[in-house]
Amino acid sequence: MEKLTFEGLQQRQKALSEKAASAHVSQLLICGGTGCHATGSIKVIDAIREEIRKQGLTDKYEVVETGCNGFCAMGPILVVHPEGVFYQKLKADDVPTLVQEHLIDGKHVEKLLYKDPNTKKRIPLQDDIPFFSHQMPRVLRNKGLIDPESIDDYIRRDGYQGTAKALLEMAPEEIIAEVKTSGLRGRGGAGFPTGLKWEFASKSPSEVKFVLCNADEGDPGAFMDRSILEADPHAVIEGMIIAAKAINAHQGYVYARTEYPLAIKRLQKAIDDARAMGLMGENILGSGFDFELEIYQGAGAFVCGEETALMRSIEGKRGMPRPRPPFPAHKGLWEKPTILNNVESFANVAQIILNGGEWYASVGTEKSKGTKVFAISGDVNNIGLVEVPMGASLRGIVYDVGGGIPKKKKFKAVQLGGPSGGCIPEQYLDTPVDYDEIVKVGAIMGSGGVIVMDEDTCMVDMARFFMDFIQDESCGKCTPCREGTRRFLQLLEKICDGKGELADIDALEEMAVVIKETALCGLGQTAANPVLSTLRYFRDEYEAHVLEKRCPAKRCVNLLKFEVDPDKCTACGMCFKACPADAVIWKKKEKAVIDKEKCVKCLTCFAKCKFDAIN
Amino acid sequence: MPKLIIDNREITVPEGTKVIEAAERLGIMIPRFCYHPALGSVGACRVCAVKCLEGPRKGIQMSCMIDAQDGMKVSTTDAEAVDFRKHVIEWLMLHHPHDCPVCDEGGHCLLQDLTVSGGQGVRRYQGPKRTHTDQHLGPLVAHEMNRCIQCYRCVRYYQEFTGYEDLGVMQIGSRVYYGRFRPGTLESPFSGNLIDICPTGVYTDKPSRYRGRRWDFERRPAVCLHCSLGCHVTVSARYREVVRQEARFSESVNGHFICDRGRYGFPYVNLPERPRSARVDGTETGWEAALKIAGERLESAAWKTGPQGIAVVGSARCGLETQGMLKRLADAKGWRGPVFDIDPAAANVRTAVSRLDSDLRVSLREIETADCIVVVSADPLNESPMLAPALRQARRNGARVAVIDPRPASLPFQFDHFPVAPDDLAAAMAILIRKCADKEPLSELGKTAVRSLRGVSDGADIPDADGLAALYDDLHDSRRPVIVCGTHTAPPEIPGMAADLALLLRIAGPRAGLFYVMPGPNSFGAALLSDPALSFGDLVSSIEEGETKALVVAESDLFGSGIDWDRLQNALNKLELLVTLDYIDSQTTRAARILIPTLTAYETPSLSINNEGRVQQSPAAFRGGDPIARTGGGEHPPRAFRRDIPGREMGAAWTALPTLGGRNPGSAPVNLTAWLGDAHPALTSLPESSDFPPDGVRLPLAENAGERFQTDRFSHGEKEEDALTLLVADSTFGTEELSSLSPILKELTPSPCIQIHPEDAAEFDLSTGDAVRIDTGAGTAVLPVQTTDRIARRVLVIPRHRDLDDRLPRERRTVLSKTAIRKATEDA
Repeated sequence: MEKLTFEGLQQRQKALSEKAASAHVSQLLICGGTGCHATGSIKVIDAIREEIRKQGLTDKYEVVETGCNGFCAMGPILVVHPEGVFYQKLKADDVPTLVQEHLIDGKHVEKLLYKDPNTKKRIPLQDDIPFFSHQMPRVLRNKGLIDPESIDDYIRRDGYQGTAKALLEMAPEEIIAEVKTSGLRGRGGAGFPTGLKWEFASKSPSEVKFVLCNADEGDPGAFMDRSILEADPHAVIEGMIIAAKAINAHQGYVYARTEYPLAIKRLQKAIDDARAMGLMGENILGSGFDFELEIYQGAGAFVCGEETALMRSIEGKRGMPRPRPPFPAHKGLWEKPTILNNVESFANVAQIILNGGEWYASVGTEKSKGTKVFAISGDVNNIGLVEVPMGASLRGIVYDVGGGIPKKKKFKAVQLGGPSGGCIPEQYLDTPVDYDEIVKVGAIMGSGGVIVMDEDTCMVDMARFFMDFIQDESCGKCTPCREGTRRFLQLLEKICDGKGELADIDALEEMAVVIKETALCGLGQTAANPVLSTLRYFRDEYEAHVLEKRCPAKRCVNLLKFEVDPDKCTACGMCFKACPADAVIWKKKEKAVIDKEKCVKCLTCFAKCKFDAIN
Repeated sequence: MPKLIIDNREITVPEGTKVIEAAERLGIMIPRFCYHPALGSVGACRVCAVKCLEGPRKGIQMSCMIDAQDGMKVSTTDAEAVDFRKHVIEWLMLHHPHDCPVCDEGGHCLLQDLTVSGGQGVRRYQGPKRTHTDQHLGPLVAHEMNRCIQCYRCVRYYQEFTGYEDLGVMQIGSRVYYGRFRPGTLESPFSGNLIDICPTGVYTDKPSRYRGRRWDFERRPAVCLHCSLGCHVTVSARYREVVRQEARFSESVNGHFICDRGRYGFPYVNLPERPRSARVDGTETGWEAALKIAGERLESAAWKTGPQGIAVVGSARCGLETQGMLKRLADAKGWRGPVFDIDPAAANVRTAVSRLDSDLRVSLREIETADCIVVVSADPLNESPMLAPALRQARRNGARVAVIDPRPASLPFQFDHFPVAPDDLAAAMAILIRKCADKEPLSELGKTAVRSLRGVSDGADIPDADGLAALYDDLHDSRRPVIVCGTHTAPPEIPGMAADLALLLRIAGPRAGLFYVMPGPNSFGAALLSDPALSFGDLVSSIEEGETKALVVAESDLFGSGIDWDRLQNALNKLELLVTLDYIDSQTTRAARILIPTLTAYETPSLSINNEGRVQQSPAAFRGGDPIARTGGGEHPPRAFRRDIPGREMGAAWTALPTLGGRNPGSAPVNLTAWLGDAHPALTSLPESSDFPPDGVRLPLAENAGERFQTDRFSHGEKEEDALTLLVADSTFGTEELSSLSPILKELTPSPCIQIHPEDAAEFDLSTGDAVRIDTGAGTAVLPVQTTDRIARRVLVIPRHRDLDDRLPRERRTVLSKTAIRKATEDA
């Protein structure tokens, strides 16, 4: 392919957008993110292609497999572009009806439209669905709209314009100044000002420097980085090229986990396409600036998301953190000045360069600018990928975007920041999305995983879950993390098993301080956070476990009696039907009894009983 | 130089000193597990927490991670810091088994010490302990992973320090496991240091398992006698046996570590076949009586043949006192000798000793700071193992290391190898010397240096001559170049040329250093004290011719030298008297008419001079005597009480020798250092044994002998076309005399094979695994072939191995004609 020059890029962009405007072709945008792949979108795509061919509609409709649409709970998703009709939970069997009714007859297929769980009304247009209407897509501006494997789709939507501006019109100091003006802070979770980080690296004297992208997303419940890479890989590449120009680096690596095969495949194709077009490699866009980018696949150790461990891993060594200083901006990968930014941070950069730092900073709070991408999951209606402006309240994320708690359950807490974060209870739900405000209530912004928990969640059990994760993923280098987290886990297990004492709660608090002060890296230093924050807000649950040997949320099996309360039982038989072990003895109009010999404590009956009759 | 206050005491330390080191200088031992001075800081264990009260950092800090800085005020005793350390120890003890009573580390275990001193005596954790499966790591190191506290010292030592990869760390979190990918013998010849470096009992000394607690042992410092480097060791003896050796820190010689040959070479002291009673004409005799008889017989021999009919022979494993006493005896009585040059490399050693100027020589530790090192005619790993890690440290600091040697050099780091054939070594060195002389305005000196090169080829036909020329440029551009020169197999001009090169470099600017590797532990002393006019070959001839009638052999096995055994046996048969003094059982002790058993260097104080002219002292580790295992017949120690130590009537060789001088042995040496000064002027000012510094004293050698370039010319006989050169080389295990007697090292000793370049092998229709029949001139051997393209062309390498002693030529280099080699077929 011919290498593009600056003029060439402009011409190509113009030609592509003119063609798109003039063509009388509707696009059928089908989500091809990992989530929708899992629910069967590939089959749907094949079926639609086949049906359109059969019906002779290929001239009028173009089928596009996009990256993640964001509304993962509703996949597979089809959006008919440009009118924006949103179809959800498609199956291959639905396709003939859909093609017939919508594409040929011009009617909406009512049963495939989104149904608001609160108003029970069908909403045909994507933009009218609350999940979408409360968002502000900047990083995700291309999600669900372009084919991530088509560089032309990206160029058409102003792709590589930021790169062109940075490489041809801006000096490194200007780039850094622009990023500083934007107020962009590290989206990996710590929130270090990106421009400042670049400035340190640009001032480190060295012939060789590196730009690294951290795509080693490992928090349970987080899938922002994966979705961005799957939906808009070129945006990340652009950010890295601009960063490279800012610090004068010529080599970059994206450190991505092998468990993200689709993201890696799409990113690799994007890199190859960019290289073929002269947007990567030597003399990019005729600017005289060289930059090469490689993907380094990690084996999936959580700790390799820590910056020093990530660099050791790229060096081919065991991924273990080292103490800082020296900071990577001075001595990073192979002892050379290095910047490491998160996928989302890089995906912001081209827009900042193109539209200016002030434009970017026009949204947000005083110290947190722009937007933030979150992956919402847990006990919430609208599980998916969302982007909201900084300053939006958590309540808005849970209730407006997230659509509230299913089954009319009560909200209990929202967990932010994964294993390093904390939980935020009802009373602080109006906290704005702001790095510093969230820290004040005992959590961290984190990389964007938001886990919503309803009243059935046991907070001790949740702390235990995160501690199990951490002690499993500790690299094993420093003692506090390796042994301390294990001891944490042991104490939490003891409490969940009903063997806890009040002294154990004191031991947890005592140890949390020591671990925080003495652990080597962020993983260990923050390991106690889930425990500390649950203790802060839900100490009563801990005390119920310890003093009353009772789990208020009825999750800790060793504290449950597995007995039916005859006063509450309505003899409905739901538990009998659901029990996989035939442990429920029940006859019509008789109250149920659980045979403890047979019971395997799977909690199915608890979930099925609508009358809270099982203890 | 930052000035800081630690526990209210002020100290000034060099820039870059860690707080933990600064505290150590004040005598404050901050607890540590992962930190080790040789391995640096990693900040893993977190037990060295201190509290910074004032200065650039505040609060709890890891003292191994922070540099000492001006204005720091540090407390190691602050309640918060103590509490943190206590927690860390509690965590480390969560999974550590309470098996101290049966653990070999118990009693000298850092974890045990810190647990007790940290005051963490209560176990709050109730859950099950983590367990692991142990591995078989070979005959030296026992593995007990359950005791591991994950300090990473072992892998950092094994992989980073010595450069071996077969032991590593696997898994993460609490499953972290240190070991080999598969069970098997550790590949590193430095594996024993794992035992010393492990802060608890994961790696323990396998041969001495369950042989005693540290406090049961008689522990003394000693100097290793298994090569010329003179590394420092600590000996542990119990029940009149040497049980264990450990590395002992030496600032100048070996640093913190030793090699496995040195660690496990000691069992010759304990062997049942060790001569423990004197024998006269095959009859056991008292020690003093045997000496007296020997003295009388020697006197009568002298009366019959004249004093010149008696000769004295020693070796490089004799202590300096014995070597000196042999010389004193020979001088006093007019006997011939002493001859120490049992090894044919002795001439090279003498050259080395004469050329090792005080301002050129570097110590082993100083090699680590070099930035360009040329190793010529030496094979570090096989000849002086600890040289290899020293070179590796230089490499890790960025030095270039080049080896010019025909053998297939193997080193645990990246280096450049120039496989130059022995006959071309001089030409290769000449390339470097000529370039140096050309490049620098050296005026007369350069000309002098180059003058001796007349007749040496310009080296144009050497493989990779350009590479050698480029190597010179690196030498020239370096700050601290070091020339390492071997003496074992080097052609005679090489040691002198190495010195010439170092000298030229030094005059040209960089602080060049020179380091010789020598064949025996006390070769240096042997070279100083031997009679240069008499070689061992001459001596054997004079016995054959009937000129020499009586021989006194002190601590030397004549048969170990590779001389034709039949010839030697016949010569010995012609002697009227053979008096042998030794502590090992050998063919020479068996051939002796009078055998005087002697004490080893473990049982008597002894001096030795290492390869850089450093005189070092070993006190006696124990008093000798028959091991209790022997006197008790393998059972419990005998109950009978006696005042003396059984089997302790023998003495050191040097205390026996004066008696051999007969009725008038000369004045008994009252002051050791004084009479050693008589033996050689360089030994004049040795300190009294009580004042001996820990790192010994370096002999004063010629200062700035800037004009002492090599003047001798060496000529090699015309070589037969197609001829091959046989090199009899050293091997890490199995070559050195004393350690090759060690049963512990037997399993690690490779069976001998012959190494050859594949293209040369093809000429004889040989490939790896084939057997070859080789007529070495001294005998015929059938050996398996191993081809390697890292060896010089037209060269064969055979290790000097005990099993082959009778069939290998005495010379380290022998020219063989093509017909001496053929494939050994089954019918042949």
